[in-house]
Amino acid sequence: MGSAAAAGSQAAAAGARAPSPGLVEVVAAPSNLGLRPPAPGREPGAWRAPGVLLSEGLDRRLNATRIVELPRPSYESRAQPGTRIRNGITIREHALRLADAVASALAAPRFVVVAGGDCSILLGCLAGARRAGRCGLLHVDGHRDFYHPGNYDAGSRLGSAAGMDLALATGRGELLLTHWPVVGKPLVNDDDVIQIGDREPAETGPGSLDRPIARWPVQDVLRDGTAEVAGRALGHLRHQGLDRVWLHVDLDVLDHSELPAVDTPGSPGLTFDQLGQLLSPLIASGRVAGLGVTSYDPDLDPAGEYAPRIVDCLASALATLASPIAGKANT
Amino acid sequence: MITLLANRPAAAYAAQIEQFGQLAGLWNTHITYYPPDGSPASHATGAWEFGYALDGRAVIDVWQVPGRDTLAGAPRAADQECGLCVRIWDPGLQLWRFTFHGTAHGHLIHMYARQIDDEIVMEQAEGDDLVRWIFSGIRRESFHWRSQRSTGGGAHWRLEQRVRAERAGAAAAAGDLDQQ
Repeated sequence: MGSAAAAGSQAAAAGARAPSPGLVEVVAAPSNLGLRPPAPGREPGAWRAPGVLLSEGLDRRLNATRIVELPRPSYESRAQPGTRIRNGITIREHALRLADAVASALAAPRFVVVAGGDCSILLGCLAGARRAGRCGLLHVDGHRDFYHPGNYDAGSRLGSAAGMDLALATGRGELLLTHWPVVGKPLVNDDDVIQIGDREPAETGPGSLDRPIARWPVQDVLRDGTAEVAGRALGHLRHQGLDRVWLHVDLDVLDHSELPAVDTPGSPGLTFDQLGQLLSPLIASGRVAGLGVTSYDPDLDPAGEYAPRIVDCLASALATLASPIAGKANT
Repeated sequence: MITLLANRPAAAYAAQIEQFGQLAGLWNTHITYYPPDGSPASHATGAWEFGYALDGRAVIDVWQVPGRDTLAGAPRAADQECGLCVRIWDPGLQLWRFTFHGTAHGHLIHMYARQIDDEIVMEQAEGDDLVRWIFSGIRRESFHWRSQRSTGGGAHWRLEQRVRAERAGAAAAAGDLDQQ
């Protein structure tokens, strides 16, 4: 049995045991593989985010008991053979390493916080979480990330996995990034996905959904409030019988006036406070197995202005887990 | 070139190598082509030989249309295919890496493959399309193969080519049994 399968077996044996408060593990996933080059000959800077967030004290603020730092994968601007997804082969390789780390942390059991990196890390996070069984997805993102060859002109340009991660996770797209060891396909069923915060109203055109998923766009969050939307999301999880979900947080769900240092900033969006208030009850529910945070690009934040705010936001959202004396999670 | 071929799968990944390794040997093929314009299908016969290679870390095959038996000693025409496939199990990707090197038309194809249920599915993205070559119904004496293409991201597939393969000698052996 390989190490991945062994980790999966451990996780399966552990089942969906919730970690005790204070048992947080941080996995640094320094990927920029899913993004376009910002300019010819340049790489996106998102790979630096885990290091910057750790330097700002992310692990200390979360009272993390363990830090795992994955190696930085090599970025290629040109097409890799047999795939129309930029860095598709390298993304798979990195995702499998990340999956091992996530599965191992969850089996401990620890609450795992994966610091990305671009949104392609979602695949490794889910591949690891799914080794212990069914796991839904709370996809908090300013975009749907639903591009796949069925809804855009894949022949005209290389695809960026950071705009495809939800499509790939639900089994749409190339075999290279939709079929996974232990889990197979898909990483998550459409019915087990909740999308919160996207600002793309159109249901047609490139990147559009081909069937309904549970979805509260950013306009709903701003109109009805974070507590209301978090409550609806938790109600949906209960209705679906989902005791265990992965929480994916793309920081481009924040308004560009709050955080411009992302690959694709936009508006309207949330404030840091609103994001923390949205995530906090989700995490406190005890249903969230782990969290991945993506899209911060330190190259777009030369003064280092935004990293402390991101760390503050995450520490606030994870307060119930980060404190050794935190009360029992409620559902 | 005796270092190219091997007699058995590499021990480290024997289970994975055997997914294709079970095809080792010579097969007679009956090929049907389905034109994209809907015109009538055409047929051909050929030969397909598989074997372990590279210290058992790879499975290679030679695809011939027509087979040597049909050529009966005559030279192969320039446009008659005799191609090489190389399949290497990549433990880092948990996938097969595959290349086809055609000598008749200069085709060079890269694909990735996984066993999915009882089929081995190979895939490449080609422009807007996804192309799959799928091995199915694998038995000791026969298997099926098909090529299909999707222009809709995998929502729908159009059959392009189908192959029925019988292990060389198997038909004769079956005929012998029928006569007993």
